[in-house]
Amino acid sequence: MFEGGRDVVDQIIARLRRPVRIDPSLDARVMERIAALPTPRRAGAVTAAWRWLTEPRHVALSPLSGLAVAAGLVALALLLPTIARRPAPTIHELQFVLVAPHATAVSLIGDFNDWDAARTPMRLAHGAGAVWTAVVPLSPGRYRYGFLVNGSLWLADPAAPAALDNDYGGPSSVVTVAGS
Amino acid sequence: MIPRLLLAALAVGLTGTVLARPAAAQDPRLERLEPSTRPLVAALIDSARAFGLPAEPLVQRALEGTIKGAPGDRIVAAVRRLAADLGRAREVLGAAASLPELEAGAAALRAGAAPAVLAELRRARRQPLTVPLAVLADLVASGVPADSAAAAVLALAATARDADLVEFRRAVERDIALGAPPAAAASVRVNAAAREARPGPP
Repeated sequence: MFEGGRDVVDQIIARLRRPVRIDPSLDARVMERIAALPTPRRAGAVTAAWRWLTEPRHVALSPLSGLAVAAGLVALALLLPTIARRPAPTIHELQFVLVAPHATAVSLIGDFNDWDAARTPMRLAHGAGAVWTAVVPLSPGRYRYGFLVNGSLWLADPAAPAALDNDYGGPSSVVTVAGS
Repeated sequence: MIPRLLLAALAVGLTGTVLARPAAAQDPRLERLEPSTRPLVAALIDSARAFGLPAEPLVQRALEGTIKGAPGDRIVAAVRRLAADLGRAREVLGAAASLPELEAGAAALRAGAAPAVLAELRRARRQPLTVPLAVLADLVASGVPADSAAAAVLALAATARDADLVEFRRAVERDIALGAPPAAAASVRVNAAAREARPGPP
């Protein structure tokens, strides 16, 4: 039984070792069959993008990250109505005028320019003698200001209401820019 | 209640945080203050900010004192007083009040308007309160008694536009400049505005 089995195995080995003859026309026939198959359409960029967007994915999030995302969404939901309700402030250009016959330099100083004498120098109006003017863009609100003449003399605006909360002695004026 | 807390916080914050405060956190504009005044003002501003009050008006008030050559203690006192006024204004006008509303509210309170007037204005007017409150303060500055100014603004606030209120203030100031008693000028102009708003027989 064992010897006979050995013969069979030898025969199988010998057959497997025999060179395989391949029909020389095989390549041509295979390529012919392939060419005859219907061509699949290539997906366009839009299709690929749509597939990428709609394909379900698994997103891994730690509980802390999840809480952070949830808190961010809640904050956004709370802030959005406020942001949407608050219109952008309208900017008004206001002209300030001071008649100062003996002045050689006048600065407009106030809440709108950090009380900095160098920021808004006033200019002599052409052909108007001693009329000094400056134009400042302001959003709606209430501003305190004054004029600094020749670098030392502090003057309130005679054409504007005086600032009542005058903590420093030197007079200040008030301008209110309306929003409606 | 909140202003009391704010005042206490301003006092405690002033004494407690001055030395510990890092200079790098200060508003660079405060560099214009005297070195001895700067940390005191910065601490006040920090305390106010911790109460949700705007820092900008306080910075501006300190800078105003600087350019006017005010001594440091007066600058500190002015900033502290303004912070308290802003806190009172916010308490009456609500947490949603805008910065201009708070500033105008603080000015109106300083002018002598009762907090109840601010609350009544908030109820009566849908538009921002910046201009009515500013007009109230300006009328007082022109000599109109605080009660009369408040009554005038309250009478107009519900329907008048901002521009109408500004024009009303100018008219009252013109009348005062021409010699009218301030309270009477405000009253007459309010009545005139009411007649214009209420069409009827001539």
